Amino acid sequence: MADVALFMADLALGLLLGCVFAVIAHGLNLIWGVAKVVNVAHGEFIMLGAYGAYFLNLWFGFNPLLSVPVDAAIGLAVGVGFYFGFLHRELRGKESMGLQSEMVTLVATFGLALFLINAVQALWTGNNVGIPWSPGVVLVGSIQLPLGGLYVAIMSVAIIGLSHVFLTKTYLGNAIRAYSQDIPATQLVGINPTFTAAVGTALGFCITMAGGALLTVWLPTGIFPAMGNLYAPISFVIVVLGGPGKMWGSLVGGLTLGVIINVGQLFVGSIALATAIGFLTLIPVLLLRPEGLLR
Amino acid sequence: MRLRGIRSFGPTLWGIALFLVVLAGTAPWIPVFLLTVLIQLLIFSTLAYSLNLITGLTGYVSFGHVVFMAFGAYALAFAVGTFHLHPVAGVALGIGGVTLRFRGVYFAIATLVVAVAASYIVLEIKELGDGQGIILNIGFEPLSWFYTIWVILAIEVILTYWITHGRIGYGVRSIKSDEDAAKALGVNAARVKLFLYALSGLFAGGAGGVYAWTASGVFPQAFDLTFSLQMLAMIVIGGMGTLLGPLIGAVAVYIPSYIFLTVLIGFQFIIIGIVVTLIALFVPEGIVGSLRKYIPELRGILE
Repeated sequence: MADVALFMADLALGLLLGCVFAVIAHGLNLIWGVAKVVNVAHGEFIMLGAYGAYFLNLWFGFNPLLSVPVDAAIGLAVGVGFYFGFLHRELRGKESMGLQSEMVTLVATFGLALFLINAVQALWTGNNVGIPWSPGVVLVGSIQLPLGGLYVAIMSVAIIGLSHVFLTKTYLGNAIRAYSQDIPATQLVGINPTFTAAVGTALGFCITMAGGALLTVWLPTGIFPAMGNLYAPISFVIVVLGGPGKMWGSLVGGLTLGVIINVGQLFVGSIALATAIGFLTLIPVLLLRPEGLLR
Repeated sequence: MRLRGIRSFGPTLWGIALFLVVLAGTAPWIPVFLLTVLIQLLIFSTLAYSLNLITGLTGYVSFGHVVFMAFGAYALAFAVGTFHLHPVAGVALGIGGVTLRFRGVYFAIATLVVAVAASYIVLEIKELGDGQGIILNIGFEPLSWFYTIWVILAIEVILTYWITHGRIGYGVRSIKSDEDAAKALGVNAARVKLFLYALSGLFAGGAGGVYAWTASGVFPQAFDLTFSLQMLAMIVIGGMGTLLGPLIGAVAVYIPSYIFLTVLIGFQFIIIGIVVTLIALFVPEGIVGSLRKYIPELRGILE
């Protein structure tokens, strides 16, 4: 049995890691909530965000935290492009997404994922890369915490908090939330549905790619074209755990999964098994509380 | 859930049957190199038809189908000899029993997540090679491979025809267009879906078994999600839920990717990715569906 100090250290690390998981899932959550679309290529946009941070470091010496706003700006543009390329045709003039449209977007974004992974592999090779940036550790009580991870966790919570303020306190944010609840009613009060949905989707991509940049702090040598195959399932599980469309749900789901993976490996002996267990919590949650852990 | 009531076979089935019989008849005289390409093509066709059974017929997108193929491959490697007793159907029933409770995107996500989790668990099991795979020492016998996968594919095609044209076919189609309405009319949606899913898992497992046999072993790459991608690409390009579509899709995806494979590795998936995206967005009916839509004369022939 693991001793208490080790348990506490893993718990703390799990919470820090959970924060960054929460951000990458938050982007998916927004797109899912607003457009009612599951972006299967989500992991690939995380990967692009991570590569963005890598190249900004390589060319200009940016550290991952500095590249977050740059990645976020790129993400906004990518999100607008994604909305008009993939979603606009399916959503235009409709009151809700039908089963047929749902299948079309699932398959189309699957094709996009395939394209992105292999295009990146052809462009920048399939080798693992990473950003050499480690600001050291800090002692909290008797637990050593990586300072980089701490910064990332603070920024992650800040990003989720800011998006929450935007969605609840501004006119546009309220319009986006209204759109996600009832499209015809939104149009009745004079909100442009296309503009609203495009902004909502763009915001989702903005947060996703910023999350990709934040994630690089945790991955000293872990940036490679197919990394989305791990982080997309993580994001899906987190969104379902927290409840799709619930903005604080991403944080709850992210912290839960981070703790399950990090503390779980202490008990089952391997990080792969712990990840599998974390993933499989999706099934009972979907069966028993399909609306997510949050009320 | 009766499967009877089919009086005559349509021209598409006869066409596929003719194609398969010609292949089987000429197989002993086909050069070995070409035969191995053909065997891979038949394996992929079997996989495409198996995904077609659940995704094509009911509209439930399964991203995790590779897990059945991988389980089939591991089952074969683990128990060479007891080859026709697939535990895969049992696995499929288990996974299907849980995941089929979810609809639409939730089903897709659940299958994907279960597939990733299953691969992590299998790769940790010592008896299954401890993440290194199992290397078998079985000989190079292309004709046996060919006839095994041929029989599996033939049974699968006939079953697909039976399901689409028998009484259960009406139930399946009604689930695809409106599951709630289908249930209200007395279709036992849960049973029909579970039946199709188990069948689909069984055939994917069979294909995986032959795959492990041809590769003379099984490696963690059997869990590679690109297999799922390829299956989905095949039925999307060929035409979802059609009888001929998966075969056309398998040829259309496998042959070009085989050619590209020798030219530039990775390049084939860039093109497949673009093609799948464009087809899903602009011609969601696929090749067979579009032919039926735009050339009315073909409607009685192509299915």
